[in-house]
Amino acid sequence: MGPLIKLILLNVITYLILKFVVPNIPGSAPLPASLVFLYLLLTTSGYLIIATVSAESKEEFWGPIQRFLVGDGIGGLQALRWAVLILFPLLVGWQTYNSTAVSDAPPGENRTIHPAPPGEYAGLSNPVPKTPDTIQQGKGFYAAFCSPCHGGNFDGKGSAARGFNPPPANFSDPTTIAMLQESYLFWRIKKGGVGLPIEGMPWKSAMPRWELELPDEWIWKIIMGEYDGAHQSPRTWE
Amino acid sequence: MIRGLSRIVPNVVVGVCLAIGFLIVQPATAEEKPKAAAPEETAASSSVSAPLVKGTLPADDPTAAVWSSAPSATFPMSPQVHWPTRNLEATVKDMIVRGLHDGTNVAILLEYADPTEDPDDAAAIQFMVGDKKAHFAHGQPMAQVEGGPVNIWYWKNKDAKGVDMNAKGFGTLKIQTHQDVKAKGVYSNGRWKVVFTRPLDTGHPEEDTQITTAGFINIGFAAWDGKKDPSSGELKEKGSQKAVSSWWYFRAEAPPDYTGYYYAAIAVGLALGFQFVLIRKLKKGQSA
Repeated sequence: MGPLIKLILLNVITYLILKFVVPNIPGSAPLPASLVFLYLLLTTSGYLIIATVSAESKEEFWGPIQRFLVGDGIGGLQALRWAVLILFPLLVGWQTYNSTAVSDAPPGENRTIHPAPPGEYAGLSNPVPKTPDTIQQGKGFYAAFCSPCHGGNFDGKGSAARGFNPPPANFSDPTTIAMLQESYLFWRIKKGGVGLPIEGMPWKSAMPRWELELPDEWIWKIIMGEYDGAHQSPRTWE
Repeated sequence: MIRGLSRIVPNVVVGVCLAIGFLIVQPATAEEKPKAAAPEETAASSSVSAPLVKGTLPADDPTAAVWSSAPSATFPMSPQVHWPTRNLEATVKDMIVRGLHDGTNVAILLEYADPTEDPDDAAAIQFMVGDKKAHFAHGQPMAQVEGGPVNIWYWKNKDAKGVDMNAKGFGTLKIQTHQDVKAKGVYSNGRWKVVFTRPLDTGHPEEDTQITTAGFINIGFAAWDGKKDPSSGELKEKGSQKAVSSWWYFRAEAPPDYTGYYYAAIAVGLALGFQFVLIRKLKKGQSA
C-alpha cells in the first residue's frame, strides 16, 4: 500500500470517528466543522513527519507526487496533470474572491426568545383556582383576544399572524410555554412586546400590552386556558 | 516502467482526492461564521436592495420600464393588532417593494393587490430615525428600552401627494414643517403601484431617516383599503386599522465594487507562479 493511500485512510478513519463516534460518547456533543478540520490537519502533519523521517520513506512518499507534477513517465495521466495545474490556480482565485466579496445579507440578529422577566414577576403563582369552569372561561378569553394571532389550535397560526416577525408563539411546541412558569406568561401578556428587555428586541414584537385592556384575573384565566388547550403544563420548581 | 506506473497511479489519484477533500472541508468551516439570521417566514424577503441608476429616477412614474431593473422583495402583511382600535382582518396580504437611487434621490415603489380603487386608499413607508430603535407600531414607547421616533412617508389616493411625518407612539402623528417626500399612485388591474421619492440626505437627521450607501436601515410598510361599507358608509380601514408589516431592511446599493475580482486575479497569478517555480525546481532536482 502506498504511503499516500495510508494517509487518506488515516484521515477518513479519523473523520468518521470524530463525526460519528465522538458525539455518541456520553457527555459529548457534535464537534464543530472547524475543530474536525483542525484534527485532520494535525493527523496529516503528524503523518508527514513520520513519512519523511528517513530518506527512503521520504522518496516513497514524495517521489510519486513529484513525478506527477513534473509529468515524468506518467503516461495516460498527462491530461489529469494539466487539469490539476489549471484547476488549482482557479480554485485559489475562487476562494480569494469569496472571502473578499461584500456580503449582500442584512445584519444578523441575535434575539433572545425568552429573556429574564423583571424581578417582581418571579415566583408569582396563579391566584385563580383551577376548575373546569375557570379553564373554560380562560379558553373563551383566549378565543376572543389571543387566537387571531396565536391560533384557535394554540399553534401560532392565527389568521392575523402572517406578517409578524418574530411570529406569534406556538403554544403546542414543547419549547414555548411548557418551558416557562405561569408567572412568566403573566408578565409577557401583561406588558406585551414593548415590555421586553433590549435582548428580546421589543421593537419587533406585535404582542399587545394587555394590562391596558384586560384585568389581571382574566390574564390568569387565559394562562390556564392556554396550557389546557395546548396540552402543556407550566414549568414548576420541584 | 510498468511497475513504476502501477505504483504511481493510485498514489496520484489519492493525492488529488486529498487536495479536493481539503478544498471541500474549508468552505464547510467557513459556513460556521455567524450568518444573517434566517427570516422566520422562509418564502418572504428580508431586505430591499435599491440599485444605483444612471439617468433619471422614475420619481413620478410607478410604471416606468426602469423599475424592472430593480430586484423585487415581497413582505407579508398582517392586520394591525398591537393597539386599539385594532382590526383582525386586512385587505392587503403582501407588499411587493422595489427601490432605485441615483446618488441624490431615492425612489421606492410599493405594489399590492386591492380589488377596488377608492379615494381613501392609502399606503405608507416607515423608517427608524437615527441610531435609536423604534417599535414597528408607530414607535410605541418601550418599557425597558429608550426608543426613538419613526419617520413615516404617507400617500392617500384622493390627496395625490406624499406627506412626511413623525410619530413616537400611537396618537402622536405629526406632519413635519419641511416636506421632503413626493408620492404618486397608479391603479390598474386590481393593483396599486405607489412610488415615493425623497433626497437620500435631507439635512434633518433628527426627524428624517438619512439614507446612505453604507449599510442597511430598518423599513416597514402599511396599507389602508379605503373601501366604504355600503350600508353604514364607514371606511373598511382607517387610522390604526390597516395592514402592517414587521421591520425589514432597506439598502441603497453602493456603486459596483470590482476589488474582489482584482484580488482573485492576483491570487490566480501567485498560484500559477508557485506552480511554475515548484515544477522548475523539481525538474532541476531530477536532472541533477
